[in-house]
Amino acid sequence: MMLWPTISAPQTSMPQTTIYVSPRSLGAHDSRPPAVVTTDLARLFAGNAALAGVSLRVDAGGVIALLGANGAGKTTLLRVLATAIRPSYGRAQVDGFDIDRDADIVRGRVAYLSHATGLYDDLTARENLRFAAAMLGTPDAAQRVERALFDVGLSDRAADPVRGFSAGMRKRLALGRILLGNASLVLLDEPYAALDADGLSLVDQLLVAWREVGVTVLVASHAADRLEPFLDGRVLLARGLVAGVEGQGVTSFPPSLPVARGSLTGVSP
Amino acid sequence: MSTLASDTRVALAIARKDALAELRGRHATVSTLFFAAVVLLLFGFALGPDSARLAAAAPGLLWLAVVFAGVLAVNRLHLLETDDGALEQLALYPVARRAIYAGKALAGFAAMLLLGLLVLGAVGVLFAVDIASAWLPLLATVVLGALGVAAVGTFYAGVTVRLRAREVMLPLLMLPVLAPLLLGAVKATSAALAGDPFGELGAWLQLLVAFDVIMVVAGAATYGFLLED
Repeated sequence: MMLWPTISAPQTSMPQTTIYVSPRSLGAHDSRPPAVVTTDLARLFAGNAALAGVSLRVDAGGVIALLGANGAGKTTLLRVLATAIRPSYGRAQVDGFDIDRDADIVRGRVAYLSHATGLYDDLTARENLRFAAAMLGTPDAAQRVERALFDVGLSDRAADPVRGFSAGMRKRLALGRILLGNASLVLLDEPYAALDADGLSLVDQLLVAWREVGVTVLVASHAADRLEPFLDGRVLLARGLVAGVEGQGVTSFPPSLPVARGSLTGVSP
Repeated sequence: MSTLASDTRVALAIARKDALAELRGRHATVSTLFFAAVVLLLFGFALGPDSARLAAAAPGLLWLAVVFAGVLAVNRLHLLETDDGALEQLALYPVARRAIYAGKALAGFAAMLLLGLLVLGAVGVLFAVDIASAWLPLLATVVLGALGVAAVGTFYAGVTVRLRAREVMLPLLMLPVLAPLLLGAVKATSAALAGDPFGELGAWLQLLVAFDVIMVVAGAATYGFLLED
């Protein structure tokens, strides 16, 4: 990995030995509201329930895995919590703020890595991050952008248009965009997909860094073994429902929707 | 940071990003300018070589070329947002929806202004119209017309950007709404070129101002709903 070449950031505000994440003032764990509370959360697509009544509480400050087969509802749950799509039924809160009524506040507290990277092909890596910094209102944007590029291992490709980037490099850059914000809840959808060995290790380091500063991470992944050392808790989803939870920091409640009870039949956690 | 300062920062960032992407990719510029030139030439051929007839038709041709090419330009600017989930990411930033609209409309306005001025110059040369003697009212008409097309186009491009048939739907939705603007801009251009003998120029410019204000306010207030899925 390249040395830190251009920016001489003050050591106190931006340590150079570990990945720099900028948390909001989070306070002690037990004084914070739950990071996520959902009540009978459901989302239909063309009449099919991708989420069929998820009632879940995720305490602040842990790394929680969303596990389940394809079509279990992992991505839909993350997209609803990120405010990318509205729930068809039920409610959800992030840090005590309603995702529908207080959507603007929630967007300021949530960072979301989706399957799509949301990058502009004609812009360079640096320009993409500078645009993101402007949209996020990142202080000391120029420095932070260079630091994020360094942290995700793209300093030497910063001036290249994203159009020529591989899937793994695009994912690294999308992770760099998350580093520019100060989210208290990070939602990751298959963060290990398309990454090389260094990239996989980058995601591991990010999970550790976020956990250290008290950021809550919800990560949907099929790479359960890889995630295992970093996890506080696990949520197993099946057919749009919570089929089981284990570990610390996560609690599920029985669904109260009739459709949810019906769908649960035959699902073994 | 105040709301206005924050909205302005966001709008300028989006407009700057669109301008950068356009400078790199030239998605809109080349196709739009060629299209406007072809429209002007075809109308010129259709009307024949009679220079008095061409000069009389010039204001109408100018604005038809601007509006038709404008549909293309705003569509291309919104297509940038179809890059790998960019529109969804744009909607997830913690910024006011009206600021996102303002940024896209500002980029559209800059593109339309450039287009309007170039087409005006081309009309002056091709149809032997004296635009220099009425440059100020013509400039005001082009500025107001460009803003109106950008305001309407940004909103409807937001409606159609996720549709498969967006190239067909956008003009179908946009052009009827632009009818008052077309009328006002053509009349204002005619009056300006003729030296405003009946003192009607001010009234047509007022119509354009009213159209722009209504469309910008309506677009800013409703654009956020278009970003939601």
